[in-house]
Amino acid sequence: MAVQPLQSNAVPLQAEAIAAEEIGQLQAVWRRFRKHRLALLGAFMLAILVVAALLAPVLAPPKPAGIAGTKAPGALLFDPLAVDPVNQHLKPGTEGHILGTDEVGRDILSRLLYAARVSLYVGLMATLGSEIIGAITGAISGYYGGRIDQILMRIVDFMLTLPYLPILLVLSAMMAGQVTVPFARLNFLILILVIFGWMPSARLVRGVILSLREQEFTQASRALGASDLRIILRHMLPNALAPIIVSATLNVGNYIIIEAALSFLGFGVTPPTPSWGNMLTSVQDYMFLNPTLAIWPGLCIFLTVLSINFMGDGLRDALDPRMRGVAGGH
Amino acid sequence: MTNYLIRRMFTMFIVLVLSTVAVFAILNAAPGGPLDGLRMQTDPRRRLTAEDYARLENLLGLDKPIHLRYIVWLAGDDWIEVLPTWFTGLNAFGEPFRNGDARGIIRGDWGESWSVSRGNDVLTVIKSRLGNTVTLMSLATILSLAVAIPIGVFSAVKQYSTLDYAATTFSFIGISMPVFWMGLMMIILFSVKFQQWGLPSLPSGGVVSLRGAGAGTLWDRAVHLIMPTIVLSLLYMAGWSRFMRTSMLDVLHQDYVRTARAKGLVERVVIAKHAFRNALIPLITIVTLQLSSLFGGAVLTETVFAYPGMGHLYFNAISRSDWPLVMGYLLILAVLVILSNLLADIAYVLVDPRIRYD
Repeated sequence: MAVQPLQSNAVPLQAEAIAAEEIGQLQAVWRRFRKHRLALLGAFMLAILVVAALLAPVLAPPKPAGIAGTKAPGALLFDPLAVDPVNQHLKPGTEGHILGTDEVGRDILSRLLYAARVSLYVGLMATLGSEIIGAITGAISGYYGGRIDQILMRIVDFMLTLPYLPILLVLSAMMAGQVTVPFARLNFLILILVIFGWMPSARLVRGVILSLREQEFTQASRALGASDLRIILRHMLPNALAPIIVSATLNVGNYIIIEAALSFLGFGVTPPTPSWGNMLTSVQDYMFLNPTLAIWPGLCIFLTVLSINFMGDGLRDALDPRMRGVAGGH
Repeated sequence: MTNYLIRRMFTMFIVLVLSTVAVFAILNAAPGGPLDGLRMQTDPRRRLTAEDYARLENLLGLDKPIHLRYIVWLAGDDWIEVLPTWFTGLNAFGEPFRNGDARGIIRGDWGESWSVSRGNDVLTVIKSRLGNTVTLMSLATILSLAVAIPIGVFSAVKQYSTLDYAATTFSFIGISMPVFWMGLMMIILFSVKFQQWGLPSLPSGGVVSLRGAGAGTLWDRAVHLIMPTIVLSLLYMAGWSRFMRTSMLDVLHQDYVRTARAKGLVERVVIAKHAFRNALIPLITIVTLQLSSLFGGAVLTETVFAYPGMGHLYFNAISRSDWPLVMGYLLILAVLVILSNLLADIAYVLVDPRIRYD
């Protein structure tokens, strides 16, 4: 934390100095991040995945009704939902299907691309939701302390004792029976993930706020008459940003795995919407016939989550040199 | 300590009551119910009349208001006639509720399974699967510890060595791996491919072979446990080895380790006696705390390997909307979590004399 000069007539100068310092800090963060080879690799792979997911509707557009075949005219890849009973279980590379086809003749590569959109959407939105709720609860708890803190933290403790995965399973199964619109279903899934996933980030933020509450700059701004909200938003949360970013990054990976697990068991994202998890649901029926069906979706989950975890580790090293990560490429 | 334990028991009791409320609320407060499927019936000849619904709702106890259903679930309905009608409301036929024969979970009556094992007592059904799950869990815990502890200790002692980096990579792979996919891959390799190549292959699921010469022998059972155990262990190996490494590094920088070295002890003794034993303490806590999640996390592993344990039972119960069974499983898990939290606290005192609860 920089010591800020107290002259009131030096405000513009000070603002410039702070802006310059922020750029300097970002550069320093980037320099440290760059040194972490695996994190760079992870970021690179994620960038490819994000681009591929964004381009999915361009690369593999849905086939207009009334057109023969399973590819839209002029499209690069096949329609992910177009069933082609003649071409079931094609080997990779046959008939233009780069990764082959599944048990009803749908193109696996196109389905993987669309599934990436689902996974990234669920991972990012669930993380965003739980970090926001966690930050608000944690900030209130840490800042006000006392009764409020006790009540909120008891709630957190209690919710952490609930069996996480089994509850997600039963809730998403019940949701699947009620909600029929695929996109609404996806958002309900995210809602369930957030309701049972915000507690760790609340604890994290509370810890940071608690340690900042008694520091001089907080007391100074309080003495200058700043409101509680201003103190929390302007002086405390920015300080909590580094650990929040790191844990949020790792959370994205966890949510992607959980979504895949729920969809695999048939309670998350349900067919025909492709998801990496539900693409694995029926593979056990075709293990002898077409074992490659099981490889691609799982590999996508694994590599995505691995990249995210590498990146999170690199961010930890880069954002706060005091918190040494596990892989640290030094 | 006694004082602490009494206070601890009191909070445990409150958490337990709240857990029953949570488990009940999750399954009953949501819209829709087990009769939803019947309402979707489109064939007019098979469609049920309003009286049929009333009878079914009454039979399943769904006509009771939610607070009454919770009380009945907890304490049974062989006494509810004593409750005033403004509290209980009226049943599906517009009459006051009569005494039933349910005795409630606190008196050991967890209800009957609706579909997975129709008509059988929930507690008996769960108990019949308990043995398989406990076997799998114990093996996975032992395997995880047997791998995680040495890896953690060595990577701490030889920090930043090749072995340390290898262990780090391993744990990254472990935490990024979807366990169910790893299970599928192992089945493809060790069951399907090995069989096709004519090598000795592993069974892809179940606990025993149904036919063949060695069916049902101890060896047969052991072979069936290999893949589920490894898959279930992976995540915990990864996490616990990191934890052990951090804890060991922490201890190695303590003053008493420096003292031990300074008085001329051999490095091996310093590490084994002074550092290792102290580094184990936090691990014991985390392992005890996670035992219950091992129980819950086994749902995926057991389902992939069609292993007839509690997790697989739970999966079936959800798929077939067997609510009494789902509630029973969730409640057992909640109790296990509470107990393992208590166990972790007690274990902490037992292994670390520096900690006291006064």
